Amino acid sequence: MKRAIGLLAKLLRIQVRSQLQYPTSFILEVFSSAIILGFFFVSFALTFSRFDQIGGWTLGEVAFIWGITEFSFGVMDMVFSGFDYDSFGPMIRNGRFDQLLLRPVNITLQVLGSRFVLRRMGKILEGVIIFIYGLSLVNIDWTIGKIIYIPILSFSQVLFFGSLFIFGATTTFWTMERLEILNVFTYGGSEIMSYPMHIFPRAIRLIFTFLVPAIFMSYFPAVYILEKSDPLNAPGVVSFLAPLLGLGMLALALRFWKVGIRNYQSTGS
Amino acid sequence: MHAFFATIRTSYRRQLTYRAANLSGLATNLMFGFFRAAVLIALYNGQASVNGLSIQGAITYAGLAQAMIGYLSFFQWYELMHTVYDGQVGSDLLKPMNYFSYWLGIDTGRALGAFLIRSLPLFLVFALFYDIVLPPTLLHWLAFLLSLVLALLISFSYRFMVNLAAFWTPNALGVGRFAFGLSWTFSGFYMPLALFPDWIAQLSRVTPFGAGVYVPIEIFLGIVAGKELLNRLLLQVFWVLFLGLLAHFVLARGIRKLVIQGG
Repeated sequence: MKRAIGLLAKLLRIQVRSQLQYPTSFILEVFSSAIILGFFFVSFALTFSRFDQIGGWTLGEVAFIWGITEFSFGVMDMVFSGFDYDSFGPMIRNGRFDQLLLRPVNITLQVLGSRFVLRRMGKILEGVIIFIYGLSLVNIDWTIGKIIYIPILSFSQVLFFGSLFIFGATTTFWTMERLEILNVFTYGGSEIMSYPMHIFPRAIRLIFTFLVPAIFMSYFPAVYILEKSDPLNAPGVVSFLAPLLGLGMLALALRFWKVGIRNYQSTGS
Repeated sequence: MHAFFATIRTSYRRQLTYRAANLSGLATNLMFGFFRAAVLIALYNGQASVNGLSIQGAITYAGLAQAMIGYLSFFQWYELMHTVYDGQVGSDLLKPMNYFSYWLGIDTGRALGAFLIRSLPLFLVFALFYDIVLPPTLLHWLAFLLSLVLALLISFSYRFMVNLAAFWTPNALGVGRFAFGLSWTFSGFYMPLALFPDWIAQLSRVTPFGAGVYVPIEIFLGIVAGKELLNRLLLQVFWVLFLGLLAHFVLARGIRKLVIQGG
């Protein structure tokens, strides 16, 4: 275990060092991506000036969950870069994954250390700014419980999105190509988690409750933290399932990943 | 000219062969269309119209904007860049055909294919779920089709130029990410420009991105008519000519810089 962590740290250090070779260009990229990504929220906020609510929520309340979700997704996208199915497909096709399999080190660890996209700092930064903006607008009745729950929630979201990446990467073992439809759950999931989710049609809500439990990762916890009334009338306990579901999904995703590796047949290239 | 059409045909066929990818892309864009429509419906909250954009118009916008992605490919396109880095560009430049026209042919074929099996079915399915707006007059239909063609030319010239950055630097991806970030930002793709504060909407509309993505949508929705419609088309023509000439200029400079790798 200790050796594994040391190795992972070493792999990541190499990644970080190579990406910091041109520090000015790196910093520019971080800031420009933060601005560009942030524009989605800015568009929403600008539009919001012509309205006064969305599903009974204020702009600040939306910014609050929008910021947390962006932040968590950004962290995940950096840590789980190796499982990003956009780059994992090519890794299988060009045989680089076979190389990793030949090494006498845990394969999951190697994939995790194979890519660490540092410029995701831009998305993280963007999320933090939107979150702070949200905090400045809403009046939250702070309790110890809420203060402790916010970082736990964010961590759960990281696990949640990370599991989706692992699921996505694993499907590549069979398809060899990345399936764009997976974006519906990853990027789409993070998009709808940025809004009060009761506004979505029932069919979409059911998918994002039972197939991919996104609703437990943002909407229900936010109902508790922001003390919103819930038109879905769900029992109070649903606000606190995020960590459990996050861990559960990760376990399930890793299970699936193991099955994928066992059934993996190289492309032969 | 014969070679140009042959290029379009080949590229069109190639686009059609990626059936699973096209279907998967269609389903993805469709879902995002549903998401965005739901957000707009929740924002409108029963109001019939906001700043001249009816709720049906806003919903139609959500479907159209998603349908445009596959056809215009305005937000991400690195095909040319890849050929620079794998050396393929060398033989492409040797072809007895203008390099710009060659890629225009390839992209037109791609766009036609994407339009037929991705954009069009997406919008038709989207229309089954919502009460949508159609162009009010035959003139609007014709203007819409014309503006779609112009939009592709704008989108292509822009992407072509962005990809040419690879002639100068071995890592043009950063340039690309920034350049495509601009097209996301100003195209009115996230939210209908009509709902923005007016000055930002005006500004976005005159950029090549607004002219490429939003103008066809406005014409389709029948928001503009008469002289205003003509002005929008002229704006598009301006960008087609300007970006087309600029692309040729950049290409002429770039060829002197190009270092061909591998090959």
